[in-house]
Amino acid sequence: MAIYLDNSATTPVDPRVVAAMEPWHAQAFGNPSSLHTLGRQAREAVETARAQVAALLGARPREIVFTASGTEADNLALAAVDGTSGAAHLITSAIEHPAILETARALERRGVAVTRAPVDADGLVDPSVVRDSVKPHTRMVSIMAANNVIGAIQPVTEIGQAAREAGALFHTDAVQAVGKTPFNLAEQPIDLLSLSAHKLHGPKGVGALYVRDGVTLSPIIHGGGQERGLRSATENVAGVVGLGVAAELAAAEMADDNVRLTALRERLIAGVQSACPQAYVIGHRQRRLPGHVCLGFAGQEGEAIRLLLALDEAGIMASTGSACGASHAAEPSYVLRALGFDPFRARGALRLTLGRFNTEAEVDRTIEILPTLVGDLRRIATARR
Amino acid sequence: MSVTRELAAADLPGANCGLCGFRTCGALAEQLEKRPDLIKRCIARSADRLATPTVAAPAARQDAGVPPGGVAPTWRDTLGREFDFYLEHFPEDPGPREIIIPHNPMLTREMEIAVGDLMIGRPLGMSCGCPITHCGVAIEVDRRTGVIVWCVTGPLGPREKGFKDIGYYIAEGYEGLITQTRDEIEIGRRYFFQPRRCMLQWRHSGLVNYMNRSGDGLQVRLEGLWIG
Repeated sequence: MAIYLDNSATTPVDPRVVAAMEPWHAQAFGNPSSLHTLGRQAREAVETARAQVAALLGARPREIVFTASGTEADNLALAAVDGTSGAAHLITSAIEHPAILETARALERRGVAVTRAPVDADGLVDPSVVRDSVKPHTRMVSIMAANNVIGAIQPVTEIGQAAREAGALFHTDAVQAVGKTPFNLAEQPIDLLSLSAHKLHGPKGVGALYVRDGVTLSPIIHGGGQERGLRSATENVAGVVGLGVAAELAAAEMADDNVRLTALRERLIAGVQSACPQAYVIGHRQRRLPGHVCLGFAGQEGEAIRLLLALDEAGIMASTGSACGASHAAEPSYVLRALGFDPFRARGALRLTLGRFNTEAEVDRTIEILPTLVGDLRRIATARR
Repeated sequence: MSVTRELAAADLPGANCGLCGFRTCGALAEQLEKRPDLIKRCIARSADRLATPTVAAPAARQDAGVPPGGVAPTWRDTLGREFDFYLEHFPEDPGPREIIIPHNPMLTREMEIAVGDLMIGRPLGMSCGCPITHCGVAIEVDRRTGVIVWCVTGPLGPREKGFKDIGYYIAEGYEGLITQTRDEIEIGRRYFFQPRRCMLQWRHSGLVNYMNRSGDGLQVRLEGLWIG
């Protein structure tokens, strides 16, 4: 039986979410902007979902803008840094998702100055580095809440405080973190927050941007003025309903899921390290997502792709880093390079990410199979301690 | 509830997020009395205890200090040519570790080379052209590809215990430690280096394709070897 350990790439849709979405495809297909009964029903469903997402984040419903993806939410947020009307400066980190890094590059081409804050060997951004990088024309600080490759959880409250003291907006790409780490945006100094449904057992093709009351953004998609004019296009009602239910389930079950996933994560790490002493954990040991395991095998880093394929043959689905980077798998990971890994070691991460539906039996099966496959890998050298 | 526990509970955020592995902040607080280090698991409370990041340097520069013999290195070989570091052998090995392949790789299988075998041979031609016959003991053997890892030793062992003569071989790589260097070592770069035990004390060159900081020094692997 196949074992899916790639929940950071995407999660299986929770059957309760599937059931909630089902009526909105065929029977209740109305456009939320229509004035008739079907339209009103659709509008109600969208607003219910908005309230569900807001509740998960400790925000007000009107502060939630639905988008088609986490990437779109990131683009919409960063569009607030406009370089055409005077000097503008953006602070981000070296290990952001491409949705931020590539958008920052595009802004750079339009005259925005960009600072990419370094991370330490555990993958954490020091809030004081952000504080020291601020300039009078810094418009925004954008630091991800949790990293997709190594699972490290950033101190976003402290970083947000540093941004606020400098008078800059603070955005966080929380695509990996929402549903796994607690947010209370009524109190946290976060102005903008991106999330994606398919990372929390919801459907693909729907995301959201939290926009704190009082923060002014410009739309990047123009049209009929849906979503308070910030995201024109007829709402993806079924998707939005799915996101809402996924958020409600996360709010109700996050703590139990986290306790269970943290225990499974530690069981997996201990089991693999016991059989493979050369295995090392990448990313902060405690400040990491509950189900996120990122491993390197000293001396065998160059074989990560081979290991991945062997795991797949054995029915275990994992990844070497980010799914978004899979097409560039031959290149060293920029995230691991930022942690100080040399180009050889930076090719060697094995990412095993657990989710709501993984079981202890699956973890034990992985512990049984993985060391055998690692033993078959070529070793460029045996690492000394 | 003890005073300590009350304080610990008050110090926790009350988010009951489960990330620490405990269902509630109160459950974590109860454990903190016995295991204060568990506070590291709380993402809300560990943030203000983050160490100042030490951004890892992409390369390692080990002090080119004065060696145990007391003489500062001149960084020149016996022909006056400059080099960047000394390559030392691993302390647990009987001599410098080399990855070699007989000119006829089938010899590894035909001669049934096995771990522990004493062998002699001469590194002919390309990689790395040393004119001296070497002796050593096999520590890893891959009969599928013919590749042998051996540690180069003196001739006493082969003289007393016998040996297998593999004739000419190609030195494909070295593994060892860098404890003295005058340059930053980066993976992917080619360096001139001096194997500490090279009988001719000639510099070699090679490409660093593996690095690992160990307690004994910077462990490296070098391939693409040439003398000079």
